[in-house]
Amino acid sequence: MSFSEQVYQELAAVVGERNISREEYVLAGNRAKTPEIPFAHPSPEAIVLPGSTEEVAEIVRICNRCGIKYVAVVTGCIPSAYATGEDTIIIHLKRMNRIVEINDKDRYALIEPGVRHVQLYPEVRKRGLSYAAAAVGPGGSPLVTYSCTGGDNHVQYGTSRPSRYLLGVELVTPEGEILRTGSLQTDSGWFCPESPGPSLRGVVRGYSGNSGKVGIVTKCAIALDMCKGPAEIRREGITPHHKMIMDSDCSRVYVFNYENIQDVCDAIIALGENEIGATVQKYFYLPLTLMMTNSANEFWEKWDTYKEVMSMPLVVHLAAHSVREREYEEKILFDIINETHGTRIPREYEQWWEDHMDYFMIVSRLQSVLRLGGSWLPIKTGAESVQHMCDVGESIGEFIHDFTNTGKIFNAPENYQIIPMEYGHFASIELLFMWDRFDPDGFKNMAEFCAASRESDLKKHYHASPIMGYGKRAEKQGVLYSNCHIWAQLIYEAYNPYIGQ
Amino acid sequence: MADLKALKYTIESCNHCGQCKWLLPARMSGWDFASVCPINAYFHFDAYSGQGMLNIAGEVMQSTISHSDDLAKMLQTCTACGACDINCKNVRDMEVLDTIYELRRSSVEAGFLPESRRKTAENVQKEHNIYGLPHKDRFSFLPEDFEDDPDADTVLFAGCSVYRHPETLLAAIRILKAGGVKFRILREDEWCCGASMWRMGDYKAADALVRRNNELFASLGIKTVITACAECFGAFLSGYPRFVQPEFKTLHITQVAAELVKQGKLTFREDGEPMIATYHDPCMLGRLSEEYVPWEGEIRSYGLHVPDKQWRRGENGVYEQPRELLRAIPGVTIKEMPRSYEEAWCCGANASDVDPEFSAFTAEERRREAASVGADTIVSCCPFCREALDADDEYRLDYKDLTELIADRLSEEGQK
Repeated sequence: MSFSEQVYQELAAVVGERNISREEYVLAGNRAKTPEIPFAHPSPEAIVLPGSTEEVAEIVRICNRCGIKYVAVVTGCIPSAYATGEDTIIIHLKRMNRIVEINDKDRYALIEPGVRHVQLYPEVRKRGLSYAAAAVGPGGSPLVTYSCTGGDNHVQYGTSRPSRYLLGVELVTPEGEILRTGSLQTDSGWFCPESPGPSLRGVVRGYSGNSGKVGIVTKCAIALDMCKGPAEIRREGITPHHKMIMDSDCSRVYVFNYENIQDVCDAIIALGENEIGATVQKYFYLPLTLMMTNSANEFWEKWDTYKEVMSMPLVVHLAAHSVREREYEEKILFDIINETHGTRIPREYEQWWEDHMDYFMIVSRLQSVLRLGGSWLPIKTGAESVQHMCDVGESIGEFIHDFTNTGKIFNAPENYQIIPMEYGHFASIELLFMWDRFDPDGFKNMAEFCAASRESDLKKHYHASPIMGYGKRAEKQGVLYSNCHIWAQLIYEAYNPYIGQ
Repeated sequence: MADLKALKYTIESCNHCGQCKWLLPARMSGWDFASVCPINAYFHFDAYSGQGMLNIAGEVMQSTISHSDDLAKMLQTCTACGACDINCKNVRDMEVLDTIYELRRSSVEAGFLPESRRKTAENVQKEHNIYGLPHKDRFSFLPEDFEDDPDADTVLFAGCSVYRHPETLLAAIRILKAGGVKFRILREDEWCCGASMWRMGDYKAADALVRRNNELFASLGIKTVITACAECFGAFLSGYPRFVQPEFKTLHITQVAAELVKQGKLTFREDGEPMIATYHDPCMLGRLSEEYVPWEGEIRSYGLHVPDKQWRRGENGVYEQPRELLRAIPGVTIKEMPRSYEEAWCCGANASDVDPEFSAFTAEERRREAASVGADTIVSCCPFCREALDADDEYRLDYKDLTELIADRLSEEGQK
């Protein structure tokens, strides 16, 4: 059956007339082409706004019965948050926006999909807690970050990748049943991620989240960490020239520049061994320059200087409970930087980071990377040991120059970041590149560059990119990851009886 | 003619990051009061947002969507508060609000405008004010013994709201007189500033009004226009340059009063009633009051604008002077709302004729926010914000116009 008036009325009966629409101008908001993809998304037949898990389950059951496909969406800032063909509806989870609980004793937060980082972070911080927010802007959904996407982010050095901080989840299965994992079932409390037995978290979210999971997550609990710094978030001035008010005695940001990636690697490992710093990141210089400037023109004015001063920058945020602790960390930090041949950049550049501490809270302003036209793509995005990631980073130079030197992609060959996690037990990498939106061959160049990157990983046996779900690409990559794509496919088939429909 | 193609770069730039809907991180305060876009907070669909309007503009530009009554209502329901615009510009080089304006213009030119807006346009055409009240009554409240300076090169511009709130203009007069400022009032020569026409997308009517007013000011040798209306203020600064090259300077009464206080020309009573005030930044006095500088040029690879473009990011709005005045008035304590300055939540007044329920939701949300910080009074300086925010409800908040508060609290010496 295709989408019909009857289906529409059935859905409307579930969510109410106010929370469903098939007006063309309403659908337009969820089908537009964005600059990083070469095509417009197919139009959904309708958009529904459920208000509860039960409504989501009912919608899924109606879709199954009527042969309608669905895509669950919160923010729409990733290409998979759109319809992929005809007879598809969008289940927009925006109205399900409660912070159900923040437990400051056992340090977890139970949230619904519509809760945003800009909402959860300050609530958590008020209680002296924190979590690693993904670099998706303030309107990003923590639930999506933790349960559905890769979600690696810039401030996870003292914590871990979000998937490892995911506790229990509640989801609506493809059959329309409500499944709760972990201690949500056992009343043992959210501090315990799951009951005994195989990890359902892995089954639910897959390795790469939206590309590997089944069902619609309607609640999840995430683990929280203690936060060093004032509970109240204050600032002075008007954005973007604002200044966050921190306790400068206990909070400092330092930026060091390096000549080669091996020295950066040694520094990251040494910092981790000593548990120095709240945030440590080998940053990418292109976004850094974009964040520190306020227009594309200002970027172009400063790019040559900035890329020289911060060609391979290591950003370290020290957060301490006391002056003594900060002084101790500083001493060790400077020793390590000295031993690894880092150079502190001029204070005028560091000051920007001190003023924009909101970056270290929820990675604010990172959308500035879109300022050069919005045609961009983060690739690799895998995680392994710090040394492995640095090796991957170094290998980028072997294939990127064919693209940067010919103008096929933006000329920023060292534009990759390495973010250690769990104090350096492992790290993630991201190679961010851009292409000229006005270049007719832009998307072709983009695809060729992605292929070159993948080939490099396969050739060198690098764990540089997560496996994206199933299919041919996953098969090719899966051999690098103990053939885990076979298991992913089996799980997918077991959980989704509607494959191929 | 509407020219959405001139905004093609913006329309095709959106990556759906959502910054147009949510507070900038530096101002985050909690779960509550985190949204900046009233229509998105109320209607929830992505189309009802800066992002959605760009997407709609894209489809209108490509003719995959046609204008209609329903779309026109949706476009005019947006309060055009500009929060989406300055939030987006914080991280992008895009003109979100200008796209909304152009989309409205395109809708009007296609013949679609909600009835209430049609009526407003007719009122302005017939009686030179948005309410359709007799033009001859515009200044009928002025006392017989009122004297201004007919030779002054400064005009006190009342705006259409003078019909409903003449007390604000009388307060502005008291402030200027107390400060020794020479000014004139245009009386029967004063017509609507044109803000409503421009912002609803009736560019033909707006153009006629703007040209008429601009020429009038020039012919009278007016060098400075002072107004106590945030909407008129924003129109003179950010609207007029779209049509003409204004040669007059625009000041809001709070800018004038703050300067007079600094110069010691205005002083306040010490025995004023205690007030815990929260200041509501009107959109057209705050983030949207930056002067519009026309730009024509080429956008090259990787976003390079040639020639360089002056971006209006809401940084230079009138934020501090109203607060300086409140701090200067004995007995007044200020409490800031989470969404203030450039991130102020709109009062919703702009949609009151098109969708009263949505408008009421927006205003109530603001009063709830004001109550949440422990204020007993919302202070602002826009007659339209006043109509939205001055309500008798569970939040038990008074509303006070700042111009009137200043005049009420002037010391005897200050009133001479």
